Amino acid sequence: MYRIAIQGKGRLQKPSIDFLKSIGLEFDVGNELVLKCNNADVEIIFVRNSDIPIYIEQAVADFGIVGRNVIFEGLYDFPILEELGFGKCSLVIAAPEGNEDLDGERIATTYPNSLKSYLKKRKINASVIKIGGSVEAAPKLGLADAICDITQSGRTLKENGLSIVDKILDSEAVLVGKSKAKWNKLTQSL
Amino acid sequence: MSNIRQIFERFGYDSIETPIINPAETILGKYGEEGDKLTYSFKDNGDRNIALPYDLTVPFARLVAANWSKLPIPFKRYQIQRVWRADKPQKGRQREFYQCDIDIIGTKSLICEAEVTKVITTLFSELGFSQFVIKLNSRRLLNSILNKFGIEDATSAIRIIDKLAKIGKEATVEMLIEIGVEKAEELMVLLMPENNNEETFKKLADFDTSELKEFFDLCEDMKVPLNRLQFDPSLARGLDYYTGISFEVYSDEAPFGALCAGGRYDDLCSMFCDQDFSGVGVAFGFARIMLGLEAMGKLDDVKLSSEVLVTIFDEAGVSDSLSIYSDLTDSGINSEVYFEPSKLVKQFKYANKKDIPFVVIIGPEEKAKGEVTIKNMNTGKQKTIPKTQLCSYFNNYTNV
Repeated sequence: MYRIAIQGKGRLQKPSIDFLKSIGLEFDVGNELVLKCNNADVEIIFVRNSDIPIYIEQAVADFGIVGRNVIFEGLYDFPILEELGFGKCSLVIAAPEGNEDLDGERIATTYPNSLKSYLKKRKINASVIKIGGSVEAAPKLGLADAICDITQSGRTLKENGLSIVDKILDSEAVLVGKSKAKWNKLTQSL
Repeated sequence: MSNIRQIFERFGYDSIETPIINPAETILGKYGEEGDKLTYSFKDNGDRNIALPYDLTVPFARLVAANWSKLPIPFKRYQIQRVWRADKPQKGRQREFYQCDIDIIGTKSLICEAEVTKVITTLFSELGFSQFVIKLNSRRLLNSILNKFGIEDATSAIRIIDKLAKIGKEATVEMLIEIGVEKAEELMVLLMPENNNEETFKKLADFDTSELKEFFDLCEDMKVPLNRLQFDPSLARGLDYYTGISFEVYSDEAPFGALCAGGRYDDLCSMFCDQDFSGVGVAFGFARIMLGLEAMGKLDDVKLSSEVLVTIFDEAGVSDSLSIYSDLTDSGINSEVYFEPSKLVKQFKYANKKDIPFVVIIGPEEKAKGEVTIKNMNTGKQKTIPKTQLCSYFNNYTNV
């Protein structure tokens, strides 16, 4: 039996389901969090985006579909088996106009590890403030001087008076798992 | 040092200390002639013969002999203390230096040797060494080889073989011939390690290497990275008390001799009491390890004593500065306060002299707005933030 973890809620869910159908898995999506496929001994599990790598690391799931940024943030080292071409976005640093020098500034983010590794590479010291969401509002509210967040079109940033200072990572949905051979075996059996 | 302590404690070793001033007979006669020569011994004002510890194993054995009935046996302990040797000072080896020891006493199980090996590999890997190798041998095996070569004075032969790395193969052979070893050349060929452990085992197929093979199996069970282990039949720790497997750790990253050494001793405590305690112990050379870390640049990110100096703007600002100082220390930030309101320039100079990277300033303007100004002493950049965010600012500061 194989288990594949995908996003339970969010923008990657639908394209993930489409991708699994495109490789030949047959299933009907309902409300269940654990779903059995009709034509193969495969379970699809619907979990929180950031938990997907945990299910794979603990060997509860064999494969997962998740944004590359989540793997990067979690410092996971298991291999990316396929780039799936959807869910494209970028992890960027943004700040109010004229505030591009990040040295010594307060930077709010939900991706502290990614931000720290960027700062380290650039030899920039800053104060990293980890928050859970609504990151774009942090500078306006006086919590931070800059932010590090995911953006697709850059519209939300603009609406909050922020412009991109630098890009940390280009992300898209990827298929991850500990064994490429296992994945090949699954797809060939369909 | 605290990293090393944490690793020892992770493996269940308790911390102990033993006396520095010892009756000379406690220390002398335990390390062979060579060790006696290097031991600091003198008469005190009461005309008593005193000796300073040469290592930590013998004082530990004495402690166990005196307290064994009260100790949990097997007993595991670590000890980090100074020891003294009247040797020629060299890089990485002063006459007074720290040793970190771990010992397991009261069991003959080979699991002890494997566990100690696991501690060694964990410690050197976590400290950041990537090139280290643990050389190991069995004293029992060495004795049986020497026996086969008809060597009567095994102790002298072992001391000579121990010098191999220092004096080279030819000089070792010559010295062995001098003490009457006939086939010295042949002996040395047999003792030199091969390219890998399998080949060394194969070469010694005529001898009983079962102890070492079992040890390697146990190490594998404990997931010790076996590529770190080098079976070296010529290893002959020059001390008199090793009876089983012994170890020495070397690394190209710290080329100052052995970084760690030790092994199995079977009757050390019998010097002090009738009880027969078998044990395994290794000593880590603290100074050499530190030199290695320094050379690798691993000490660069060691925190300075103070990260933040809280300045006092004027007499009226004393109370605010002290309150901020207290908030910083309470939230775990290494900080200090300047002791009097004087010119800020003078307070900045003090921070510079002490390499304190940040100063915090609360002038009347900041005070009125509930803010503080942080000055980065390295870049000169100043930043004003709400006073309530100050601790979070420093606690989340990345230090690269």
